[in-house]
Order: sequence, then C-alpha cells, then structure tokens
Amino acid sequence: MKVLRGLPAAPGLAIGTALTIQPAPRIDPTEQRTVEASEEITRLEHAIIQAIALLESLQQTATGPLAGILAAQREMLDDPELKQRAIELIFGGSSAEAAITRVTDAYADQLARLPDSYLAARKDDVREAGQRIVSQLRETASEIALTQPVILIARELSPAELAGLDTALLQAIVTETGSVTGHLAIVAQSLGIPAVVGVMGAVSQIASQSILIVDGERGTVTIDPDTEQRAAAERRQAEAEHIRLNLALYRDRPGLTADGVRVEVFANIGSPAEARKAVEMGAEGVGLFRTELIAAQGLPSEEAQYRIYTEVASILNKPLIVRTFDIGGDKPVSGLDMPTEANPFLGWRGIRLGLDRPAEIFLPQIRALLRAAINHDIRIMLPMVTAAQEVRDARMHIEQAEKELKSEGHAIRSVSLGIMVETPAAALTLDQFAGLIDFISIGTNDLVQYTYAADRTNARVSGRAQPLGLATLRLIAHICRARVPVAVCGQMASDPAAIPLLVGLGVRELSVPPARISIVKQVLSTMTLAKMQAQGQDALKGG
Amino acid sequence: MENTVERTVTLGSKSGLHARPAAVFVQHAKGFHSQITLTKEERTANGKSILSVLALGAEHGDQVVLKVSGSDAENALNKLTRLLEGDLG
Repeated sequence: MKVLRGLPAAPGLAIGTALTIQPAPRIDPTEQRTVEASEEITRLEHAIIQAIALLESLQQTATGPLAGILAAQREMLDDPELKQRAIELIFGGSSAEAAITRVTDAYADQLARLPDSYLAARKDDVREAGQRIVSQLRETASEIALTQPVILIARELSPAELAGLDTALLQAIVTETGSVTGHLAIVAQSLGIPAVVGVMGAVSQIASQSILIVDGERGTVTIDPDTEQRAAAERRQAEAEHIRLNLALYRDRPGLTADGVRVEVFANIGSPAEARKAVEMGAEGVGLFRTELIAAQGLPSEEAQYRIYTEVASILNKPLIVRTFDIGGDKPVSGLDMPTEANPFLGWRGIRLGLDRPAEIFLPQIRALLRAAINHDIRIMLPMVTAAQEVRDARMHIEQAEKELKSEGHAIRSVSLGIMVETPAAALTLDQFAGLIDFISIGTNDLVQYTYAADRTNARVSGRAQPLGLATLRLIAHICRARVPVAVCGQMASDPAAIPLLVGLGVRELSVPPARISIVKQVLSTMTLAKMQAQGQDALKGG
Repeated sequence: MENTVERTVTLGSKSGLHARPAAVFVQHAKGFHSQITLTKEERTANGKSILSVLALGAEHGDQVVLKVSGSDAENALNKLTRLLEGDLG
C-alpha cells in the first residue's frame, strides 16, 4: 500500500484498475526532411486536414466549456499563419514534424508571456494542436481506446483528449501536470469524473493493472489499498451515492412531514462560498451565519461587514439569520485584546463580550446588518444569552444604531431579533423574554454541554453530554412552549434519530450543514407529525 | 477595386479576445476576401489567424484598431465592428 498526493481537481471517490499512458516521445526540433520540400509540404497539408476532421468529430458531442476549447483548437489547426511559417521552415530543410513543433512552441511561448493568466494558459492548447498534426504525420493514434472501466494515469491529459475517450468507462483521472482551476478540472467536474492532478511521479509509480482508490476531494491516490481501506472507500461511495440520489429527489422540495406539515430546512454557513453551496443543496434559507468565521484575520470594519452580508444575502435571495460575533476565550481574534480565562466556555464570550465592548464589537456589526437589511431579508440573532436584560440592552444599542443611521441619511427597516438558546438559564426563563424576541434557535451543542456540565472538547467527559438524554429533551420541550417560532441549529438538527423528536416537540425549522439538507428533508418526509409527537411525548417520560 | 478602411473599436466581449470569442471572430473574418488586421498598441495581428489574435492579449474594454483592405472592405468593417463591440458569445 502506498499513497500519492496531488491536488483535488474534481470531487468524487473511485475504486478501480489503473491504465497508465506513457507520454509520446518528443519530436526533435532539428529533425531534417528526407524528401523534396514539395512532398513534405503535401504531407503537412494532408496531416492538417486529417487532424481537423478528427477534431470536428470530437466537436459533435462536446458541450459547455469543452465546446469552446475545441472550437478554438479547430481554428488553430486551420490557422493560415501557422501553416505559412511551417512551410517556410520546411523550405529551410526541416521535417514537417519538426516544423510544426517549432512553430507551435514559438506561439505557445508568446502566449505564455501574456499578463492575462487565462490567455497564457492557452499555450497548452497550441502545443496540443501541434501534437495533433504530428500524430497524423507519424500515423500514431494519439487517441486512447478504452474497452473496460479504468482509472486513467497520464503525464497530462488535455480536455480534447478527454473528449475523445468513452467517458462512461472513465472512473477517475490522475495526472502529473495540471491545476485545480485548469481545463481538465473544469471538464472533469462537468462530467462528474473524480480527478487528482499534479501528482508527481504518477506515471512511473503507478503500473497499469494496479488497484487504486482515487479521492478527488482529498487529492490522494492510494495504490494497492488493504481490505480495510477498500471497505471504507466503498462505504463512502455508498453514502455519496445515497446523498446524490436524495439530492435529485429532495433538493427543490420544501421540508414537509409525511402529512404535509411544513418544517423549514435551513443551512448553517460561515462564508459566501458556503452560501452558494447552501443554495446548490436546496436550503430554504440560512438559519445560522457564524460571523466569527469572517473575523479570522481580525474584526472586519463596518464597511467590509456590510459588503459580506450584502453578498451572502444576494447569493441566497432567501431568509438569512445572522448570529452576531460569538467570540470568546476559546476563539481568539487577532487584534482584539482578550484576557486568558480559566474557563472560557463559562467566560467572557458571545453577547456578554459584545455588550461590554459595544463600540468595538457590537455596534459596527449592528450598523452593517441594519444597512444590509434594507434590501434583503436579514434577521439578527444573539449568542450565549442567559437573561432577558441582555436582550433589553442589545435592543437599546440597536435603537441607537437606527437613530444614528437615520440621521446619516440611511433608510431603516425594522429587523427581526432572535436569540440562541444554549443555556439552561435562558431555556427556563423564556416567559421573561416575551415581547423582546421574535424567534428562538436552540444551539444544541452548547445547551447539552451546559446542561450536563460536560466539556464537549474533553474526551474523558464529552460522552456524558447526552443530546438525546432526558434532561436535553425536557429542556427542548419547555423551550417549544415559548410563543415564538423555535428552530434548532446544532448537530442534533441533522441527526436522523433526533429529527422526529425535535419536530414532535414543536421545532419547525432545522438548520444544518449544506451537505445534510437533502437527508433531513428525506427523514422529515417519512413520518407524520402525529407519529413524531407520539415519539416525542414518549421520550419525555424517561425509563 | 482595392480600398482600405479602418476604425477604432472598444471590445465588448466580457472576457476580451479569449479562446472562444477569438475563434468566433476569426471564423467571420475568414468569410471575407479582404485582408483584415487588428492592432492593439504596437502589436498587429492577422485577423484570420487565431494564434495571432490570441497573442494580442486583448481584454474587455481595450481599444483595438480594425483595419480592412480589399474588395469587400466596407461590408467587412461594418460586420466585424459589430461583432467586436458585441459579446462574441
């Protein structure tokens, strides 16, 4: 067993047999012709016509980015200057192969020097066009014929070569050259073929017929895996297949129980990229935007925050619940002076820190959110709340920010305000929050840790924290008696065993990682609300 | 009758003269008898050669001089100008 590492270029996991392609030998650019110039020129013209015919046959089935690449290559083969310069070299004594190679290399070098990185990358297309003509001259088929499913190992593989393959037989691609944004990556992604590029020494180290696991997400190639690795890869494949099938079925459907009760399925995100992923996976909104994740390099300015919130909301075009910075002793932020604490989970964090240092932390964020909310459905959620007074204080700051913004000439819209319920103190006193909050989201990870007094980062005790334990479920049932909508945004929300209990107890929004959305919708659709309620009530009784 | 006409054109294609737009332009240019050149700053490209057009490195919003000489020059200038100003999809 041996693992080679490269760059993950197209996602997916493949288990299969290697077919290793040895690179074609380079043409000697000084090679001389052995026949009359006129005869050599006829050979060249003939080869160009054949290369064009072959490319046109590839063009017929090509779509998307590949079609554009092939159209450009077709023009390159038919380029009058290319031919003219090659003919001049043939008159000077060059063989047709050497002439084409020298001319295309010269154009490739010229393109490589362009400042535009996209155009510079076209050098590979020019070289390939040259190789297409050379392989016609040599009468060696540059096309690879596949007869059974294989994982293709090559020094490099151009999109056009890829187009010439029976892609249904292509389980994965491994190349020594290439980048994650290159043509091969784009085309492999659009075909759904896992690919790992930039694998040094792949051709010499992977023999044809070896058994491989290619992981297009991690960028690894495992040669001759042991039984255990193979079994693990098969399990991941089955799971991915399950998600893929689910995705097709549930992505565009709303979250509904078997009897049609609406349970919104939202996404937890931390960046604009994840917002895109959420939309792709069928999120009905974002239930938790962890804004501390945009503060990794220090707290962003109000302007920078305004731009990020606007960008995320525009990508979504659906409800966006933004949690204000949940910063604390265990999550240091550069540029923010924070004391070292003996118990950071019980320390100066979340809304406590925001309210104690409003000018620095809370107000700029609130101003950015109020401004972004003018044109988007943005709602604000406060983390680590323990008492109603904290919400009153936060509201005071929000009103102050609204006044300031108005006096600066900004339009203002009233924005929904909610809280994370992640402490038993908040859970047990929700009646005191009446009129102060518009919604609740249960942060089950922290709620469970605080309820069981078991640090979830301490392996010795973390098992004592029971997400489905009686104390947790009774607290959740109690929270659901509040007269505002209740969501769950912790790990429990995507646990198939917990979903019926949560919905049965009254939760009507589940916010989960984007990749889990379709699974959650599927679980919801398998049971009626009455059955979930019965399960929920049953679970509250205890043993 | 030989005549030469030229015009300065601002590139409308969002990606400039990248592979696909360049291929589209060259295909159209080849449809005319006239000689066609594109000049960006001090570089001049044969409008019927995609390699030469790509090597200009022309980007969206760049100004290029389109020069056409030959029997169908007027017609070619008008059609190719419209093409360069459009998105060259």
